[in-house]
Amino acid sequence: MTVSSNVKQCLSTIKGIEAQLSSLALNSLDEEAKAVFHETALTMADVKKDLQYRVLELERQEPQYQGS
Amino acid sequence: MPGWFFIITRSLIFLLLLFITTKILGKKQISELSFFEYVAGITIGSIAGEVVTGLESNMYHGALAICVFGFITFLVNFLSIKSKKFSDLVEGKGTVVIKDGKILENNLKKEKYTIDELSALLRAKDIFRVADVEFAVLEPRGNLSALLKKENRPLTPKDLQMKMAKEKEPQTVIMDGNIMDEPLRCSGKGRGWLYTELEKQGVTLDNVFFGQVDSYGELTVDLYDDKIKVPQAAQRPLLLATLKKTQADLEIFSLSTDCDQSKAMYKKNAAIFEETIEKLAPFLNG
Repeated sequence: MTVSSNVKQCLSTIKGIEAQLSSLALNSLDEEAKAVFHETALTMADVKKDLQYRVLELERQEPQYQGS
Repeated sequence: MPGWFFIITRSLIFLLLLFITTKILGKKQISELSFFEYVAGITIGSIAGEVVTGLESNMYHGALAICVFGFITFLVNFLSIKSKKFSDLVEGKGTVVIKDGKILENNLKKEKYTIDELSALLRAKDIFRVADVEFAVLEPRGNLSALLKKENRPLTPKDLQMKMAKEKEPQTVIMDGNIMDEPLRCSGKGRGWLYTELEKQGVTLDNVFFGQVDSYGELTVDLYDDKIKVPQAAQRPLLLATLKKTQADLEIFSLSTDCDQSKAMYKKNAAIFEETIEKLAPFLNG
């Protein structure tokens, strides 16, 4: 496994976490839990952006691994 | 007419009368909290018994007596709500028997309790040392309420300064294979959602004996067929584990990269993750 594929895997895990947090935020009944889930989902979105940028950078540095 | 016929009709009539009386007096009558309810409960019962089996007595007199007892109790309850002094008078006040771990002998004597009876009441509450008790009250009903000293009380999350997530009451949405629409609405879900959840767990509605939705919108079901294993709802603990794994991944990336800029980026995000995990842990555990 190359570095870029590792980072990509991590990125998709973060996407999954974000989706699960959003679904928990919608399904929870308690207002506080809702707020915390929503807030953390937004934090995940920020982290996701950073990693996406890094993936692009890695692809530019090692074009031979593009798409893998 | 034969006697047994009278007994049957009287029994039915008095059962109905007793039912109506207790319904009007409410839950308080059933729990017999105060002196009046205690006495009224006993007397109404024996009047009914007397009249139902004693055929020589007049039925209407018995019914009248029950109505009077019921009405007086109702009146006393009503006045007790209106006036504190009145309720203290008729319902009585609790007597403090232990204060600061010391037995108040005078109050105990006033209530005519022996020290043996007091320790029996304490033992019923799993208290074997009087010195462990901070404060104890004999309630008007004769039962004992005891407050243990702080160091003898069971440990709570608050004592450990743990943050706990609030929980709403679970709603029972499926009973005997039927969807309960009102609890479903209370939990903010619809039938469509319920069918999707059931499909996710791989069960059909008519196989479900009992289904509950907890405050996180997770559905737990009990099936008629106890041999079928239903997957346990493990979404939240799994999510916590995934969060921890991703945090570790980010740390590894930050250590293995040579580029300073991305090293800083990974480190920053790993820190953000750590913070998030801390924030989410109370909601995702258990």
